Amino acid sequence: MALIFIRTTIIFITLLILMRLMGKSQIGEMQPFEFVISLLIAELACIPMADTSIPILYGIIAIITIFILHQLVWLLTLWFKPVRAVVSGKPSVVINKNGIDEFQLKKNNLDVSDLIENMRTAGYFNLDDVYYGLYEANGSFSALEKPEKAGYSLPLLLIDRGKTDSQNLTRCGFDKERLQSFLKEQNARIRDVVVMTINGEGRIYFQKRGEKYKIFNTEVNGNW
Amino acid sequence: MVKSICYTVAALAICIGLFLFTEWYVKTQFEEFTAALETLYDKTEEKTANREDGYAVRSLWEDKKSKLHIFVPHNDISYIDYWLNETCGLLYNAEYELALGKIEVLIQISENLPGAYGVRLENIF
Repeated sequence: MALIFIRTTIIFITLLILMRLMGKSQIGEMQPFEFVISLLIAELACIPMADTSIPILYGIIAIITIFILHQLVWLLTLWFKPVRAVVSGKPSVVINKNGIDEFQLKKNNLDVSDLIENMRTAGYFNLDDVYYGLYEANGSFSALEKPEKAGYSLPLLLIDRGKTDSQNLTRCGFDKERLQSFLKEQNARIRDVVVMTINGEGRIYFQKRGEKYKIFNTEVNGNW
Repeated sequence: MVKSICYTVAALAICIGLFLFTEWYVKTQFEEFTAALETLYDKTEEKTANREDGYAVRSLWEDKKSKLHIFVPHNDISYIDYWLNETCGLLYNAEYELALGKIEVLIQISENLPGAYGVRLENIF
């Protein structure tokens, strides 16, 4: 029985570490340790139920162990702030006054298209619709919005961390030569660009690695 | 908060109590069973064992296993059932030499089985 307790604890800690390492992209609306518990409980309940060669007490002990671990983690996070940061993580500010913080995105195993998708889900369609954008410890996206929206046309992602989206380039009539000349004007190579989006009004959001974002206006065929 | 702490401590206390009880109970049951097997071994070696002795050990085991099922995986119990039934069959036919080998296996199993559930590094990983 003690063996089951120890093994469950080891699996719990291993899963918790893995979940923390995977970053916020793997968690949805739950604290990492709650997510681990929901992963484990289902299996722990099912195995002794379905496999008659295992005493049901093994399942019960494992579930009680999970309960004890949950309570311990909860109490520790309540009493000691540093433990909370280790177990649950901290909010990550991915958009600040300079634009996208690429380091924070990488740290949470996210890319620019994930960020844009989460922003759209939260009701922000332009990257500069918000002063600050952050991923909470539970993986949900929060933002401090600007009083006025940056535009009323859907922005298309042209460059995502050094990679061009040829489909979107064609859609907005922004061919490769035009893109190259734009980048030349900005003294940037494609691989130096963190993000470049363009909306139907020709409004470009451009951010070079390590620099603050810039807004440009250009002509586009606003067919979207 | 206090309620939560109380629940946690209570759950922990129940678990620790259960661990200690299980450890002691399984060990005691298997010790008694091993002692019965050793007696049977001696009698078989002396060729004085008969089918009644085999059945006596089996009924002792039947009594113990009904409770051990709560703590020990049922597959492990079925190994003992298998070897014990073979032993009884051999004793019934008075095949003492063959029965000795089976009893030896049973003794080894019942001596080693409680250790398989103990807190040891090899069992944890």
